Amino acid sequence: MDIFVTKRDGGREPFNANRINQSIERVCFGLADPVGKVVQVGTDTRFMLYDGITTEELDQATINAALQNVPQDPEYEKIATRLLLKTLYKRILGDYETGEILLIKHREGFGRYIRFGVEAKILDARMVALFDLNKLSALMDMSRDDILTYAGLSTLEDRYMIKDKKLDSLELPQYFWMRVAMGLSYHEKNPVEAAIRFYDRMSRLEYVAGGSTNIGAGTTRPALSNCFLLEIHDDVEHIAKSVSDILKLSKASGGIGASITKLRASGSPLSSNNTTSSGPTPFAKIIDTAIRAIQRGGKKTGALCFYMENWHIDFPEYLTWKHNAGDDYMRMRTANTSVFLSDEFMKRVENREDWYMFDPKDTPDLNELYGEEFSNRYVEYVKMAEEGKLRVFKKMPAEEQFRQILVSLETTSHPWLTWKDTINLRALNNNTGTIHMSNLCTEICLPQNRDSIAVCNLASLNLATHLNPDGRDMDWKKLAETVHLAIRHLDNLIDINELPVPEAIKSDRENRAVGLGVMGLADVVEKLGFAYDSDEAYVFTDRVFEWISFHAIEESAALAQSRGSYTHFHGSGWSRGMVPVDTFANLEKQSRRAVKIDKGGTHAALDWKSLREKVRAGMRNATLLAVAPNANIGLVAGTTPGIDPRFAQMFSRSKISGKYLEINTNLVTDLKKAGIWEQVREKIVETQGDIEKIPEISADIKARYKSAFTVSPYAFIEVAARAQKWVDQALSRNMYLETRDIEEIMDIYMEAWRRGLKTTYYLHMKPRHTAEQSTIKVNKGKEMGKTGFSSVKWGAPSEAERSEGSSPVPEQNKPEPVASAPAPKVCPVDPQLRLQCDSCQ
Amino acid sequence: MPLIGKASPEDLNIHSSQYQWARKLYDQAIANTWYPHEITLKEDLEDWSRMTDEEKHAVSFIMSFFNPAELIVNRVLALGVYPYLKAPECHLYLAKQMWEEANHCVAFEYVMETFPLDQAKLYHAHIETPSMQAKEEFVGQYLKRMTEDRYDVSSVEGRKDFVRNLVAYNIVMEGIWFYSGFMVMLSFRQRNLLRNFGSMINWVLRDESLHLKFGIHLILSILEENPDLLTAEFADEIRGIITRGVDLETTFNSDLFPNGILGLNADYVNQYVRYVADRRLEELGLGPYYNVTNPAKWMSSATDVYELVNFFESQNTNYEVNARAHKK
Repeated sequence: MDIFVTKRDGGREPFNANRINQSIERVCFGLADPVGKVVQVGTDTRFMLYDGITTEELDQATINAALQNVPQDPEYEKIATRLLLKTLYKRILGDYETGEILLIKHREGFGRYIRFGVEAKILDARMVALFDLNKLSALMDMSRDDILTYAGLSTLEDRYMIKDKKLDSLELPQYFWMRVAMGLSYHEKNPVEAAIRFYDRMSRLEYVAGGSTNIGAGTTRPALSNCFLLEIHDDVEHIAKSVSDILKLSKASGGIGASITKLRASGSPLSSNNTTSSGPTPFAKIIDTAIRAIQRGGKKTGALCFYMENWHIDFPEYLTWKHNAGDDYMRMRTANTSVFLSDEFMKRVENREDWYMFDPKDTPDLNELYGEEFSNRYVEYVKMAEEGKLRVFKKMPAEEQFRQILVSLETTSHPWLTWKDTINLRALNNNTGTIHMSNLCTEICLPQNRDSIAVCNLASLNLATHLNPDGRDMDWKKLAETVHLAIRHLDNLIDINELPVPEAIKSDRENRAVGLGVMGLADVVEKLGFAYDSDEAYVFTDRVFEWISFHAIEESAALAQSRGSYTHFHGSGWSRGMVPVDTFANLEKQSRRAVKIDKGGTHAALDWKSLREKVRAGMRNATLLAVAPNANIGLVAGTTPGIDPRFAQMFSRSKISGKYLEINTNLVTDLKKAGIWEQVREKIVETQGDIEKIPEISADIKARYKSAFTVSPYAFIEVAARAQKWVDQALSRNMYLETRDIEEIMDIYMEAWRRGLKTTYYLHMKPRHTAEQSTIKVNKGKEMGKTGFSSVKWGAPSEAERSEGSSPVPEQNKPEPVASAPAPKVCPVDPQLRLQCDSCQ
Repeated sequence: MPLIGKASPEDLNIHSSQYQWARKLYDQAIANTWYPHEITLKEDLEDWSRMTDEEKHAVSFIMSFFNPAELIVNRVLALGVYPYLKAPECHLYLAKQMWEEANHCVAFEYVMETFPLDQAKLYHAHIETPSMQAKEEFVGQYLKRMTEDRYDVSSVEGRKDFVRNLVAYNIVMEGIWFYSGFMVMLSFRQRNLLRNFGSMINWVLRDESLHLKFGIHLILSILEENPDLLTAEFADEIRGIITRGVDLETTFNSDLFPNGILGLNADYVNQYVRYVADRRLEELGLGPYYNVTNPAKWMSSATDVYELVNFFESQNTNYEVNARAHKK
């Protein structure tokens, strides 16, 4: 079949294989065996075409052809990334002949883009008024495009870059970084210099702003916050207002935590008309449906996590919200659920005591209390219940409810377990009220009330770009500088931020809460030669977080000196000269338990004592650290997200922006060094990324490269516990389990509480059964130990055959005899041979 | 107790369970339970409006084959397999499989009713399209023999018919045709189109992988228990059934992709069909026939490795529902 390509102007031209090969060749610089790679990608591309394919599709086909060879050699990913970059350059800057011309066009294009953006009212007018665009474009370093991975670049393009009306990106990677940097520098004394400093660190992937900031910075709609926390009060006006707030906040691209603990129980009397309430479920369903209607940033639907304390009498029903069967009106298809557990409950589980549940209408103060006060009041309500003084209550063994929570977690990954007392008793910022919940990703711990919707603003440090050149240790000085700059970035954000709900604006301005996180922990641990579940990794985590905590606090204290403290500083833990690591005493005293963790620091150089004095003098921000899951910006940075372990050495990521195959390049480097990469690469797919089962790989490599399901679950707890010492908010601690033994799962989560984790996040269960693999040789017959027809002696018909006589199948029904037709003509597989194959050329 | 034969009262005694593999497959199938309503299709509808006519044709053409095909499998199981299997653990599995086929049929219906399609035309396509008709007739001819009055499962020819029927519906229809369809449908997911439909296909594929395991277990166990079937002639005939199935699929593929779409064309799909057919032949102990490589290398990321789902972006299709609150 002759293939014609439909050009952009609608004209047709014959497909030119040579031209495709040349374009692939041009992006293979610096890669091993470029000729082999060109042939492979060229041949695969040819196989994906059809007559009339458009030029854009042809570009995409070439990229896909490169990508599908990644399991053979991760260097193919570089080819795909560079091809994608070229299509972006061409689309935005037009055709170019040489690298020099491209560089000039890239420089000229930036000012044109910013001015166009301002005229089109996409970008803020200050983007032109405050900045010397020529100076900025001269300083942009286009070579940094080459450090992006394919998943990173396509995530940037799909999620964060500003688009025109046809949804084509107006930005290139460096334009994007610079736009965000400028959009955070309006109020700096010298906006140009500030923008350059932010740009420099972001474009080198040293830290990356949170998703909302990436989308909104520099634009005319700068809703830059990621997280909102609100509670729904027990009256219909406030429920209705909350639905409206949730719609608006979702539209502003934030994720939402919503506590519904205050909603009275199903069957609870309504004073207005002597009828009864339908309970929290139907109201939650309204919200579940509402968030689906919103397209955040044009792509994501709204996202929200409900929080309920488990003393609510409707908590057993709450546990069924995420089940896949049952009445759809009582199931939340989109929203997530989390349970807010008290120490009183955890101790009753330990001591095998009963757990009582109440109608919050009867026990309204429980939601506000924590620590000793909660326990005392809870015991009083228990007494009242037993004395018949409460209208309704339920009781069951506490252990049984804990078990039900974990059974639900195992089957539906919900509810996530979060701990009210660890959060509140270690908080430095709850002088304005109780913290009633965490957020969508369980890393935020902020108080809110009817008049304020808590807001948090995020960015994440990339540890992987802070290693010394020799790769043996962190570049601690550089890390400190990035921390200082990132905190400044987050503080700047708050004065530029525009939020759609007054209660959120108020909280943002008064608390200036920020959450600087971390990504690349597992990546760096590997690069340093440690296993994720080793003592070295635990000590390293402790040291990294102590360092980050110190410098973040130092920067906020310094900003308080120049810019003033946040409104509610007085009365906060900070104002008493406390830092996060000092808060264990309060938790241990009130909760009457020892948190099993060494509370000391390891960096002799850090002078915590004088830092406490600076803190006492003032803090710019109510909170500083929170480790988000980084599901998207981790991809952008090309490293492991948050504090997550490697999911597997090879796995796919299912994202809105596409499905990506991820290979651990640290492992590939080590296997290439050991000279066994070619030998084992197929087995890595076959074992679904678990190298434990591959005999050729040495024990020390196996020890370092475990997958999330082969690492001990206690390692997840240990890493989080070490980090949590220093982090004033919390961490999105994803959990991964192979075991389905519920007793074991209960032990694991009990230990997480004992070690002082404030929250846990999503639970990933190892699938016991997956679909048949496609690209790997599979023979189920052999796996079953059965031989089938292979024992047949070809040639002579058997005894049985002869005795049976003629076939009783009527002639017309007989399957058509299949002549031993020659195997159909197929194109050769060897790429070299294919070059000579008529059909392929 | 032999796997196949005439029904007898002791067939109902689950405790003596001798075919443990069937019981294990049943347990896993229970854990895999899902429902179409867990999938939301709003975003897919937006993709649909942006897709080319030929892309839309490919998706609807495959669905109009799959929707009745799931019911055909059920008819084959009910009339041609279940009555002649003696082991009760196999009956358990088949009962769950039949529910799954019904669930798949309803799942495709759910998609067909949600997408802006000419539904009446789609539901009738399998009757009016010769390449689909031929596939249905192919399976039907082997089933017909199983339902005739004179059918005798204890005779050599009866047992051969049983195997022929198994090969036609399980190896050819479920193990080759369906797999080819899955690859085509998942290719859209790979291009970031029809993500939620793709999640549903993941589930269907997860189920079908078990169906295929069960079928292959059955065929190989029957061959083991009935060595008189292991003749060159019968082996040739079985290979012929499979290669005939491949030929029918090749004709079907020309209707599926009269011209082609980005990344896929009829030749490409045909090569995939042959690649999968070789795998099935080898699993039955017959050598490969086509000797081709897998053109869809990207399937490594679609099906071969674990998937890490960002659950507030995509439906998590990995969960299993049979958690135990207490140890057995």
